[in-house]
Amino acid sequence: MFVAIEDVCFSYSNAETKALDNFTLKIEKGEVISILGRSGSGKSTVLRLLAGLEKPEKGRLVIQDEVLFDNKTFLQPEKRGIGMVFQDYALFPHLTVAENILFGLFRMKKAEKKKRLQEVLELVELQDFGKRYPHQLSGGQQQRVAIARAVAPNPHLILLDEPFSNLDAELQGKIREDLRDILKKANITSIFVTHDEKDAHILADRIVRLKDGRIDFVGRPCDMLDTYRQPGMQQPSTKGFVEKNLIGIN
Amino acid sequence: MQHRFANINAWTVGAVIIIILLFLPNLTIVSGLFTPSNENWEHMKEFVLWGFVKNSLILTAATAFFTIMIGLSLAWLIAQYDFPMRRFLKWALILPLSIPPFIGAYTYHGMLSHTGIIQTTLRDTFGVTLNPAFFDIMNLPGAIFIYTMFLFPYVYSITQVYLSQQSASLIESTRILGKGPWKTFFQVVLPISRISIIAGASLVVLEVLNDYGVVKYYGVQTFTTAIFQTWFGLGDIESSIKLAASLMGFVILILMIEKLLRGRRQYSYSTTKVRPLPLITLSGWKAAAATGYGFIILSLAFFIPVAQLIDWTVLTFGTIPMGEFMSYVKNSVFVAGLSASLIIIFALIVGNFARMVRGRLGKLLPRLTVLGYSIPGAVIAVAVVTAFIGLDRFLAPVYVWAGFSTTLVLSVSIVLLVTAYIIRFFAIGYNSIETGYDKIGTNFRDASRTLGLGVTKTFFKVDMPMMKGAIISGFILVFIDVLKEIPLTLILRPFNFDTLSTKAFQYASDEKIMEASQASLLIVGISALAIVFFYKFLERELD
Ligand SMILES: Nc1ncnc2c1ncn2[C@@H]1O[C@H](COP(=O)(O)OP(=O)(O)OP(=O)(O)O)[C@@H](O)[C@H]1O
Ligand SMILES: [Mg+2]
Repeated sequence: MFVAIEDVCFSYSNAETKALDNFTLKIEKGEVISILGRSGSGKSTVLRLLAGLEKPEKGRLVIQDEVLFDNKTFLQPEKRGIGMVFQDYALFPHLTVAENILFGLFRMKKAEKKKRLQEVLELVELQDFGKRYPHQLSGGQQQRVAIARAVAPNPHLILLDEPFSNLDAELQGKIREDLRDILKKANITSIFVTHDEKDAHILADRIVRLKDGRIDFVGRPCDMLDTYRQPGMQQPSTKGFVEKNLIGIN
Repeated sequence: MQHRFANINAWTVGAVIIIILLFLPNLTIVSGLFTPSNENWEHMKEFVLWGFVKNSLILTAATAFFTIMIGLSLAWLIAQYDFPMRRFLKWALILPLSIPPFIGAYTYHGMLSHTGIIQTTLRDTFGVTLNPAFFDIMNLPGAIFIYTMFLFPYVYSITQVYLSQQSASLIESTRILGKGPWKTFFQVVLPISRISIIAGASLVVLEVLNDYGVVKYYGVQTFTTAIFQTWFGLGDIESSIKLAASLMGFVILILMIEKLLRGRRQYSYSTTKVRPLPLITLSGWKAAAATGYGFIILSLAFFIPVAQLIDWTVLTFGTIPMGEFMSYVKNSVFVAGLSASLIIIFALIVGNFARMVRGRLGKLLPRLTVLGYSIPGAVIAVAVVTAFIGLDRFLAPVYVWAGFSTTLVLSVSIVLLVTAYIIRFFAIGYNSIETGYDKIGTNFRDASRTLGLGVTKTFFKVDMPMMKGAIISGFILVFIDVLKEIPLTLILRPFNFDTLSTKAFQYASDEKIMEASQASLLIVGISALAIVFFYKFLERELD
């Protein structure tokens, strides 16, 4: 098993209820996982815990036999080798596209850095944009820079938080295809969060659905197909959807 | 094994040390309350205490009342109506803040004195001689006038920004309901701007309680003058600590009243997109009255005193040797620059700590340091001196060992003064830095950490460059405040160390009013430039 997440529990310090309750998931190398769920169900929380930006109450995370956290270890985010693409991209506004991508490559030698920069710029098809600043890019281009920046240091695992939420419908379609190609080309294990079922179906090898901090469905997209109505339907009503799937699991 | 909070520790330790250092001296004041009282104190309590408590109360209450009247009426005019020169007045009405009240105080005294421009003009041009008592400004009402003129912009600026941000529909709907402008004002504008009025007025009150220059010069007995008199006149530091503690109690009471008045209610926009208030264009005598009102206030609070200062500077130019004057400038820039830099560095550390920790304590601790700004300079002076004398006593063996000829080293050095500045003005820098941190949020920091950079590296490569604006503005604000500061500088400066403000104050106190103008004009000029800079800066930020 490449990534093993076991029994992770977490609640925010100022909240009563658990933001995440006994989250368990095993992921194969190169697999694309989608976390699906309504707003507030805990999707971002899972990613933040994996990245080390929050400290879990209990649980264990192991990637490639290295323990990132358990009851006596807690590896700081900068030591984890996990890349993250933020919901709002978080591109450093004071740095150019190239500088943003080079940001995480400080351990490499100069020539190596340059080569890697070219590689990832090509991967996201932004070769000619290295000198621009983030605010001089379109939403879709910014998103691709964010992916390039996260991929550049060769992380074991890449996490993407609602990568399409800031884009218009047309761009969403295009970026979705791009992302799939990029992830597969780079053969990176990845987890991405979305509240749009269509994204999950098109991109994911496996879908995890969260409800109120608990997993209520894990499986291949085709196992969920009966709830997937027509292309263009943005958010199927969760009610009927959950019942069907609960029955599906039982 | 990797320690859970390895990175956080260095920042936590730094922040906690800074917070304690900023807060500790004030504890010496509190402890002073519990030392047995001596004769002086008993005597004061019996005969004079009530006198200056009364003066302080009258000063703060009257100044608060008049600054609210003037500040709110101007804010309302600017926020709701259009009239000739409105755009200019909108920002120019903040300019009076660039004149420290004590400079305004002696300038007005000079203008109104027997040899001043007003009486001489009346005598020589019109042959009128009036009862000199009519021109006497050096009394309680005079001090209230000075404070009102030079402090009302606090109420004006906060309220004006607040009113301009109010959703148009709120006020329009009142108008549609058939209420006239006066009813709108009293039934809608006044209640919704309550919070900003209270915020502005409490700044005014704290400034009045802190002030030493005006009341000393005008001979009005207040808490602050009493503290210094007991300390230097009677040489009784214990009683002055007790006085300082009482004043601090008074300030805490005011802060509590402020909290209470503010209430738990927060007026915020219910719609995300706030349509700015469409201005009502005034015409005819109404327009003239609005413009006239704005200009009368602005003239009294800025143009007239500045013109007088320029006049005096021209008259006396060259009487103060250039070399001597430059040494005051150098000293001023040195202490202001040093204090501002240290404050910004400390604020960056404490601010970064505040956003790393979760939970209530982490939010509360940095708030403690902000208290310093509410504590009057006189109290801080007493606190810092007491603390430093204790420190010197503790270090005495070291001094002897090092071969110093005296065991009072730190307490007579510039360290004392800079420490006092840091305690007093930390809040100014911290507010700016905290806003900066709030604005960039935590996402960029998190992104940097997932890219492999630790907290400290992230701070230098991401936070600092992104907060350039907040750092510069915090620095300038503190710099200006130190430049204008009077009681701390006067009391705590090392022997023979003069700054622009102490020199201006001394000249004025020696009735060498004209000689005081040169240093004063420089202070006012620099502060006014900073205000213009901020206005432009803010405008650009808002776009
Ligand atoms: N910093 C925080 N402090 C306290 N509670 C939080 C914090 N962040 C999130 N929560 C709460 O934790 C729960 C899960 O939040 P999370 O951000 O993981 O949801 P999400 O599934 O990502 O939602 P969305 O689709 O809106 O992004 C929510 O109930 C939320 O209110
Ligand atoms: Mg989220």
